[in-house]
Amino acid sequence: MRPEILTRIYWFIGLWLVQVVVLDHIALLGYAIPMPYVYFFCLLPTNTQRWVYVATGFCMGFLTDLFTGTPGVGAASCCATGLAAPYLLNLFAPSGYAFDEPFTPSVRTMEWWPFLRFVISLTLLNCFVYFLLEAFTLMYFGRLLLTTLLSAALSTGFIAAFEALRKNTRHKRL
Amino acid sequence: MRNLILFLQRYVHFILFAVLELASLALLFSFNRLQSTAFFSATNSVAAAINRMWGDAAAYVALRDVNTRLEHENTLLKMQNDALRGLIDEQRHTPDATEKRIGEILGKYPVIPAKVTSNEQRADRFNHLVIDRGTDDGVADGMGVVGGGGVVGVISEASAHYSLVIPVTHKKSAISCRIRGSDWFGYLTWDGGSKLIAYLDEVPRYAVVERGMAIETSGYSDVFPPGIFVGNVLAVGSAPDGQSLRLTIHLGTDYSNLRNVTVVGNLHRSETDTLRNHTAFVEGVLEKN
Repeated sequence: MRPEILTRIYWFIGLWLVQVVVLDHIALLGYAIPMPYVYFFCLLPTNTQRWVYVATGFCMGFLTDLFTGTPGVGAASCCATGLAAPYLLNLFAPSGYAFDEPFTPSVRTMEWWPFLRFVISLTLLNCFVYFLLEAFTLMYFGRLLLTTLLSAALSTGFIAAFEALRKNTRHKRL
Repeated sequence: MRNLILFLQRYVHFILFAVLELASLALLFSFNRLQSTAFFSATNSVAAAINRMWGDAAAYVALRDVNTRLEHENTLLKMQNDALRGLIDEQRHTPDATEKRIGEILGKYPVIPAKVTSNEQRADRFNHLVIDRGTDDGVADGMGVVGGGGVVGVISEASAHYSLVIPVTHKKSAISCRIRGSDWFGYLTWDGGSKLIAYLDEVPRYAVVERGMAIETSGYSDVFPPGIFVGNVLAVGSAPDGQSLRLTIHLGTDYSNLRNVTVVGNLHRSETDTLRNHTAFVEGVLEKN
């Protein structure tokens, strides 16, 4: 198997484990639950088939649900995020000759701010769908919005940390 | 087919998304009480709304049948109502002087009570009435028909259960009438104007007639017994030929409010008919010779 595929599988498993073992038990200020597993979409190159985003999103969400006691919530939200990810990447990816070629979204390829905008949009979408399905009502929309914003911010922070770690690792290898 | 494959290839991620999202929602509603309760409440509401709409639509479509049935019931009820009203009217009816006199006169004749079932007023002045008695009840062509107000008309045709009456208000009607208290007679005709006004023609010019005098049947035919009230003289005038009087008669029968009538039979009609036929035969033979 190609090494980059293996690396992605390791990341998939690692992100899932971190989510279900550690992060799912964190509820900062009673609202914010970090969900950085959407970082997996950042590991897929831009020439990846769109159905792969959807399928892997569903798998990640489904596996997370198995251990978090919310069957269907994570799967549905992550599946929706997987569908939107390529479109969001097109929206926030820098334009230019160099980006006409396939690339993997990262700080190295996109710089911090475009990368973070992509990540923020991913986490916001994922968190909103997740908490909307979990609450299944718009009666407490303010609370839903607050939870979404805090969780998205925390998730973005974790993803930024992962990305920084990954960048440093690559630098050391080089 | 190729287009279909291209379409599926192009939108496979949407199709996959729809399938997986449905699977996720199925999980959500199967294993989460809050979501399943909310979902099934919503679907029940929607189903109830759809059922209500469907029911309303079905009821609307069935309105034609309901309407037909109601019309039928309405007709039956109207008929029952009319029949009951008729019975009540008969019970409450108090005969006036004319009716009493007619009753006395008709006491000697076979009479057949009948009801008017159709009262046709035609533009061509060939008006007809239909009564609910026919040959099965003893009605025959040429019998007279009288009502509470006096003479109504003559039976023109009779079937088993119904008979056609030529009323006084018919273009071709001509009934022999006389001025009450005298033997001056004439023929009652109608000109197509008011249904309450007729004319007594061929009254001799020397006849003493005054406004308000009563006109009655003369008895010179087998149709009506003598003395049946017809109407009152409204005006006295000359006939167009100037040879006789023409009396304007206010009819006693109101044809626009006519329901109960009586068919008057004649016990001796067969005898008079035989005599007439015999005379006609003899005259015919003599003429040939």
